[in-house]
Amino acid sequence: MTQLMNENGIRCDGRSIDQIRNVSIKVGVLKNADGSAYIEFGKNKILAGVFGPRDVHPKHMADQDSGILRCRYHMSPFSVTERKNPAPSRREIEISKVIKEALQPAVILKDFPRTVVDVFIEILQADGGSRCAALDAASVALVDAGIPMRDMVSACAAGKVADKIVLDVNDEEDKEGQADMPVAYMPNLGKITLMQLDGILTPNEYKKCLETAIGGCKQVYEIQKKALMEKYFKNGEA
Amino acid sequence: MTSSVIIEQLKREKILDLLNQGKRIDGRGLHDQRPLSIEIGVIPKANGSARVKLGYTEVITGVKIQPDKPFPDLGDKGILICTAEILPLADPKAEPGPPGEEVIELARVVDRGIRETEMLDLKQLVLIKDKSVIGIFVDSSVLNTDGNLFDACSYAAVGAILSCTVPKYEIKNDAPVLVEGVTSKPPTKTIPVSVTMARIGEYIIVDPTADEEACMNARITITTNSDGNICALQKGGSDGFTVEQLFKCSEIALSVGTKIRKQLEQLM
Amino acid sequence: MMETVKRKYVIPGDTIVTGPFRPEQNVYQDGDRIISTSIGISEIYENAVRVIPLSGMYMPKTNDLIIGKVIGHSSLSWEFDINSCFIGFLPAQDVFGRDYSPTKDELKARLDKGDLVAVRVANFDRSRDPLLTIQDRDLGKIESGELITIAPSKVPRLIGKRGSMIQTIEMATKAIITIGQNGLIVVSCEDPVGLLKAIEAVKMVDAQAHTPNLTERVKSMLGVELGENNDTINE
Repeated sequence: MTQLMNENGIRCDGRSIDQIRNVSIKVGVLKNADGSAYIEFGKNKILAGVFGPRDVHPKHMADQDSGILRCRYHMSPFSVTERKNPAPSRREIEISKVIKEALQPAVILKDFPRTVVDVFIEILQADGGSRCAALDAASVALVDAGIPMRDMVSACAAGKVADKIVLDVNDEEDKEGQADMPVAYMPNLGKITLMQLDGILTPNEYKKCLETAIGGCKQVYEIQKKALMEKYFKNGEA
Repeated sequence: MTSSVIIEQLKREKILDLLNQGKRIDGRGLHDQRPLSIEIGVIPKANGSARVKLGYTEVITGVKIQPDKPFPDLGDKGILICTAEILPLADPKAEPGPPGEEVIELARVVDRGIRETEMLDLKQLVLIKDKSVIGIFVDSSVLNTDGNLFDACSYAAVGAILSCTVPKYEIKNDAPVLVEGVTSKPPTKTIPVSVTMARIGEYIIVDPTADEEACMNARITITTNSDGNICALQKGGSDGFTVEQLFKCSEIALSVGTKIRKQLEQLM
Repeated sequence: MMETVKRKYVIPGDTIVTGPFRPEQNVYQDGDRIISTSIGISEIYENAVRVIPLSGMYMPKTNDLIIGKVIGHSSLSWEFDINSCFIGFLPAQDVFGRDYSPTKDELKARLDKGDLVAVRVANFDRSRDPLLTIQDRDLGKIESGELITIAPSKVPRLIGKRGSMIQTIEMATKAIITIGQNGLIVVSCEDPVGLLKAIEAVKMVDAQAHTPNLTERVKSMLGVELGENNDTINE
C-alpha cells in the first residue's frame, strides 16, 4: 500500500489537504456540437459536447410542456489501466443519471417544449473524481450552447484520507482512502445538486467533508468562469 | 453518420460547378488532402495514443496492450483488435447505442488496413503457444466529423501503434506476469496508408469532406504498404467505377500514400 | 440615450442588479436579485434589465423573416430546417392557393430537398411548431448566392442601427445580402471580389459583434472612408 500522507500532511501527489489538483478548461472545442468544453482535472481528460435543444427521438420521450435533458457519461476503452469494454457499464449508466440530475436544477427548458438537450461526456483518460470533472465540463458546455441556466454547476469531491478530511480525492486516495464524497453545487444560489458518499464518516467529519467539498466547488467555479470569459470576452470591453 | 446530411442545393451546384473548372470548394486540388496533423502520446494511461486532425475531422486512438488468450485457430499469433466508433458528441446525427452499419464498416475497414498489410508481426507476441499471447487493442473514437472518417481513423490507429511501447510479460506458474520497467517497440514490419477517394460525376477527388460526400456517387478506400503494394480495398456508395477509374485510383493511392507515409514515419 | 445604459459581461448565475427592477429577456428574478441566465452582455435601462446573449439558437417569433432549408415534405406541407429546435411548416395551400389538391399538384416540383427559401414566420406559439409563409414581397426560393451561418444573437448587429451596417457592406461591395433573423445569410454578387469582401465583412461582424468601433473596422476592411461614428453594441 502506498503511503497516502506523510507526517507533514503532504499527500501522495504532493498536495496539501485543502488543495485541488491542476484544473484547466477550454470552451468551444468541438466544431459540430452546439456547445462544448474540454477539461483536464489532475490526470482526467474529458470532453463534453452539448446538442440542442433539438427534436426528440424516440418521439414518445417528448414532453409537451418543456424540453428534457439527457446525459451520457462514457469512458473510452483506453481511458483506464485495464482496457474497458466500450459498451456502457452499470457504473456509467448510474453516473449518467446522477450527472443529469445534478444539471437539471440549473437548466431552464420550459421555453423549449417537445425538444431535448443532449449532454455527451467522453472520459478520454480517467483519474479519481471523473464525475465531478465531467460535470464541470458539462456545465460550461451548456453555457456555450446557450442553454438558459439559473446558475452554473461546479463540482468537486472531498474525502477522508489517512484520518484527515482532504479536498479533491485522487485515484490512489479514492482506492485506498477511507471516504470519498463527490459534491456538485450551484455557487450563486447555494444549492447542492449532486452528492454521494462511499466510506465511513463521523457526523462531525461529515459536516467538515461537505464544507471542504463546497470550498473546492467555489474554486472550480472561478476556473469555469475564467474559461468562459476567455472564449467570449477576449477581444473587447463592455 | 454523414450520409443523411441534406446539403443545400446551392452548395451542391457550386461543388459541381467548381469541379468542372478543376477546383474544389475549399480551394484544394482534386488530388490534395486536407492538412493532416498527428499528435502522439496524448493519453499517457494508454500504451500508445494519437490524435489526428484531417481538416475538421478529428479522431483519437488509444492502444491498450495486455495478455490474453489467443484465438482458437491462431495459437501461434498475438491478438490484434481494431475498433472504431463515432462518439455521439462528434456529430449532431450520431446517436448513442449499438453501432449502425456505417460505423461497423468504418471499424472493419480500419482493422483490415492494419491486418492485411501485416503491419504488426503478431508471431512475436506469443507467450505460450495456444495458451497465452499479448493482445493489442486499438480503439479509435471519432471526436468531430467532416467526411473521410476512414483515413482519419486509419492514420490515428497507425500513429498510435507506431508510438506505443509494449510492456514485457514473463510466464510464472503458467500465468503471464508484468515485468515492471521493461518495454520494447512494437514489432512493426510496414506502414499501411489508407487513401479514400470519392467519385463525383467523372471526377475522382481525394479526401472528401462531408459536403463532398453528400454529393458523391461512389467512394473507394485503398490501403498500400511501404513496398508500394495494394493490400486492402473497400468500395462504398450507391454507384460504381469504371476499370479505368479504378486504375487511376490505385495510382493516386500510391502517390498520395507516399507523402502520408513520410509523415507517419516521423512518429517512430 | 446611450449614456444611461449600463452594460457588463455576465454568465449564468451572475447577479446583475438588486432592487426594484423589471426582468426582461434572459434574466430571472430571485427575491430582489435579477440574475442572468445566459452568457452575454447585461443592460440596465430605465427600470428594465436584460441580457443580450452571445450564444444560443434561434427562437422563432411571429413576423420574423428567416431563411429555411427544405428537408422534406408530406402531401400537405413542406418541412424546413430553420436553424432552431423547431421544424418549420409551410402548408401547400400557401404556395398553390386555396384550391390546392394533393392529387393534382406536385410539391416536389415546386420546392425540393436542399432548396433554400426566404420565408416569414406566420404564427408560432408554444403548443405548435412554427407555421411559415412565402406570401409576401421578397419571399420565396433563393436561386443563387452563397450561404453563411452566423450566431442568431448577432443578427441585429449585422443589420446595424436603422440598417446602417448592412447598407455599408452592400454599398461598398455591390452585393445583395438577404438576412434571416435565424442567422442564415445569403450573399450574392456579380463581382467575385465583391462577393468575397461581403462574406468577409459578414463573418467579421459575427466574430466581433460585441466589440467597440466595429463599424469603423468593417469600413476600413472594405476600404470605405470613415464617416461619423454611429457605432453601438446592438440594435
